[in-house]
Amino acid sequence: MGRQARVMDGLKQRIKKAVQNQPQPTVTILSSLLAVEDELGYIPREAVEEVATFNQATINDVWAVVSFYPNFRTVPPCEHRIEVCWGPSCHLVGAMPVIASVLEAAGMEDEGDTPDGKLTIRYNTCLGACALAPVMSVDHRLAGRITPEKGRELVSKTLDSASGGEA
Amino acid sequence: MPDDITISIDGVEIKTQPGKMVLEAAIDAGIYVPYLCYHPGMKPFAACRMCVVSVEGGRGYPAACTLPVADGMRVRSEANDVIELRRSVMQMLIAEHPNGCLTCHRIDICGPSDVCLRHVSVNDRCVTCPKNERCEFKDTVRYLGMELESPLNYKYKQMPLEVNDPFYDRDYNLCIACGRCVRACEEVRGDDAICFTERSGKALVGTSFGTSLLESGCEFCGACIDVCPVGALVERDHKWEKPRRIEPTICPHCPVGCQLNLELNDAQEMIRVVPELNAPANRGQACFKGKFGLEFLNRNDRLKQPLIRRDGNLMEATWEEALELIASRLPEYQGDAFALLAAPDCTNEELYLAQKFARVAMGSNNLDVLSNLQPESTLALERGMGFAAATNSIWDLEQSDCILVFNANVTEDNNVVALPIKAARKRGASLIVIDVREVELTRHADLWLRPAPGSELLLLGGILREIIDQGLDKKDWVEEHCEDPSTLLYYLHNLDLEEVASVTQVPRESIAEAARLFGASGKSAVCFALDNIAQELQRDCASALVDLVLLTGNVGEAGSGIYPVRQGANEQGAWDVGCIANRLPGRGAARNDRARTELEEILQCSLPSDRGIGSKGCLDAAAEGQVKAMVLLGGSQNLTNGRLGDALSALQGLEFLVIADTFLSEFAPVADVVLPRSTLAEKDGTLTNLERRIQRLKPAYASPSGGARDDFWLLVELGQRLGATGFHFSTGDEVMEEIARVVPAYAGVSYQALDAAGSLVLTSGLESPKPTQMLYAGRAHQGIQWPVSEGQGKGTPILYTESFPIERANLVAPEFRIVDAEPDPAYPARLAPGRVLLQRDRDNRIELQQDTRRNDIVREEVLEFNATDAQRWQVSEGDTVRVECPGRDLKGIVRLNSSLPEGVIAVTGLFGQLAVELENSAEPVPMARVPGLDLEPARVVKME
Repeated sequence: MGRQARVMDGLKQRIKKAVQNQPQPTVTILSSLLAVEDELGYIPREAVEEVATFNQATINDVWAVVSFYPNFRTVPPCEHRIEVCWGPSCHLVGAMPVIASVLEAAGMEDEGDTPDGKLTIRYNTCLGACALAPVMSVDHRLAGRITPEKGRELVSKTLDSASGGEA
Repeated sequence: MPDDITISIDGVEIKTQPGKMVLEAAIDAGIYVPYLCYHPGMKPFAACRMCVVSVEGGRGYPAACTLPVADGMRVRSEANDVIELRRSVMQMLIAEHPNGCLTCHRIDICGPSDVCLRHVSVNDRCVTCPKNERCEFKDTVRYLGMELESPLNYKYKQMPLEVNDPFYDRDYNLCIACGRCVRACEEVRGDDAICFTERSGKALVGTSFGTSLLESGCEFCGACIDVCPVGALVERDHKWEKPRRIEPTICPHCPVGCQLNLELNDAQEMIRVVPELNAPANRGQACFKGKFGLEFLNRNDRLKQPLIRRDGNLMEATWEEALELIASRLPEYQGDAFALLAAPDCTNEELYLAQKFARVAMGSNNLDVLSNLQPESTLALERGMGFAAATNSIWDLEQSDCILVFNANVTEDNNVVALPIKAARKRGASLIVIDVREVELTRHADLWLRPAPGSELLLLGGILREIIDQGLDKKDWVEEHCEDPSTLLYYLHNLDLEEVASVTQVPRESIAEAARLFGASGKSAVCFALDNIAQELQRDCASALVDLVLLTGNVGEAGSGIYPVRQGANEQGAWDVGCIANRLPGRGAARNDRARTELEEILQCSLPSDRGIGSKGCLDAAAEGQVKAMVLLGGSQNLTNGRLGDALSALQGLEFLVIADTFLSEFAPVADVVLPRSTLAEKDGTLTNLERRIQRLKPAYASPSGGARDDFWLLVELGQRLGATGFHFSTGDEVMEEIARVVPAYAGVSYQALDAAGSLVLTSGLESPKPTQMLYAGRAHQGIQWPVSEGQGKGTPILYTESFPIERANLVAPEFRIVDAEPDPAYPARLAPGRVLLQRDRDNRIELQQDTRRNDIVREEVLEFNATDAQRWQVSEGDTVRVECPGRDLKGIVRLNSSLPEGVIAVTGLFGQLAVELENSAEPVPMARVPGLDLEPARVVKME
């Protein structure tokens, strides 16, 4: 068995475990997908198959759910994740310039993943810290009172700390 | 009906039944209420909101498709407020669909190359949409009388066209997300090959991870195309052509007898096949063979003139010369030296004449339909219960609680029969599949038993024994309706269940479970064929299945019964009218003196009394020189698919061979006379499907060249020229009248009765101003299921509801034994090919073929081995091995599978692969060149 196959088997094992060990009493396609997302950070093709089998549904049934929720990822997550809030409070005190500078620092035009897989940028409608608006988060750590300069700084720090950064 | 209730729609009172929805009641009454997501035959969905109505005394605007009728309900459909609401709903819908043309007043006079004054882009113009002139969406917009300008912005979605899959072109820029296709695939077909994707403004139809249909589990039945109200889903062939005429016909490919509508263009070419919604056998469904396998009708290499062999060469001749030659040569071969084989796409009338010609004019009982390779499946039904036919209607299976599918590849051979089976399964019924091959239904099966080849009969014995042991037999019923079962019980009690389990290699618990499911589920039914069953076991296997049905009392009710899965379109008809060796029309064996004398008296002629030989025997006899002259009506798949052996060399041995054929076939070089033959679409007559339904067939168009003739005309001409009595027929009606006199089950059947058995279904024709939604409805031809009750002309959908025609049913006692096929030392193993819709855990890569621009499946085969065999062949999981069969080699990766019996190597292909192969074929019988799922002798070669 080749290395690729072993990696695949490992992935399948993790998916199986995640799907089978759901603590809550009601298990659905959605809950199974969330369990996989928690485990892997995304929903690979194998997971769609496994969730379908586990819930006695078809892969297309499962896909209808996966694609319905924009928050499910179907490709592996990037190393880091930055979320910029553009909810009403942040918007009023200047979220849009922050977003513009964050995107510029990452070399992107819109939310999404960087091509090198280092960084995911997502807009968020509320990070729950309106008193600190405008807010962004780096790998789920909140940072408040962001200015465009501070945003740019955080992005370049994050990019530098990415493992691929030195290479 | 006593339970009629009355509702009114816009003041028009209509009668309807409780349980119906307002929309259905309106359609039944011929009142048009616009709709887009609703489709007859599927559950209401209430998504498009096009059918909103208001109810007096009610609140709001409910959708008529999900509003149950109530007595005295007063519905308003054409009121101003309702119409306004529908218009605003439509405004939202057309914001998602190109609409520049929909609201243009020049729409009817616009051509593809016209300059558009409204600057509608080429992508968005109706004249460049394949569904133009048959678009439900456009018709609905026009029905609503929309304003010219929509206040909502429309933006072209810029989605790439999906044109690389076989048969289908998909353009999701035109999709209005009505969900009809998704529901057809899931609800009606049970396949779930497509699903809704994403949501809100981006919601569309697609597949998991956007894969091609080849990998998504599509069976290419075309059901989604048939229900699409816009141009999003269309057939690729003749995509842009508009029908000028729509003519009904019956599918020639299998005995389900699907009623199809052929769309014809001005040049009389068949451009599209649309299954008939009101047809009782297929209910608006077809399959890849019926939907896409009729392209051969358009082939321009039809035989146009008779050919006669002169000086060793086939030369064109007139019909007169050809008939004269046949009439002068055939008398030399009177009696046993003559044989007649007919293709299963002959009508009942033709088959009746064919047997009459062979028996009366030629004095030979050597006759058969070419597809009749499993005669035992029919004979066992007759022996056990009295009638040589399926007991129930196809769609009765929907009501079954347990269905046993025995060695039958239903999804491919009788595709539409699989639909009620899958529907029943979805409803909660159990499905048992007994087959060593991985056929499509195994995916849906609760229990899949893979007996070792040769031990199938013993397995059935084991199941019967378990039925008895678990007390699941209906003793009272058996006592009342059946002959004494003690011989059968004796045989069963002699079985050692442990031994059965070890010989069949099916675990004992599984055998017990199969018995429990079948015996204790309520109404159980059997669908069976004898594919890959050893010749010497066929008779007993079929009888054991009949026993299973009888012992458990599963007879005479919807949802119970037994169905043989056959190959040929009109094989049932051939059995009925006696176009089978040793079987007189309606009267059993030719050797039975009483039956024969009776028939001789009715027909005023004398009949041969020998057994006669059937399809397989005829070819052997021809090869050996016993049969010297033969008439072949139609070159059937059964001559080319190898199941009858080397037909070509067998036919070479004949002294005189007449072939009536639509195209010049590979048998022409050995024929003395080749006659151009009409296709089924050009014939007039009746066909009998597998549920005994006699359906009227009328020619969709005249034979194109004018030179081709149907077998009816040919047989009448030849019969008359040979001076035989009883060949003075000019119409099929006259022949049917004689069949009705000769065949008791057909008594009372006439063309008049068949026409009367139809009912008018509301329709709007091509020229109608109303929307196209009921375009394909028309007069529904119900046909008549024989036997016909005397006097009333009514058929019998379910046999044996009260009693058996043979007084008591026979519980035939087979000797439960196995056949140990002598293994060929060169090929000691057996390869069991399978075919499924979807293989989740298989590495299927899809690659675009550069030459054809079509998707193709590229993958490594997985060869499944039993652990013991793997040891014997010294292979282990993950090895790459080659399996050699006579005629083909397979390379693949070894996977161990404990459910396989020893000595069997399994390999499973995909339907998608079949579709790719079929797409480029214009064969009259699409499956003829496709490898079937026959077991093959095999050996394993390990690769370094």
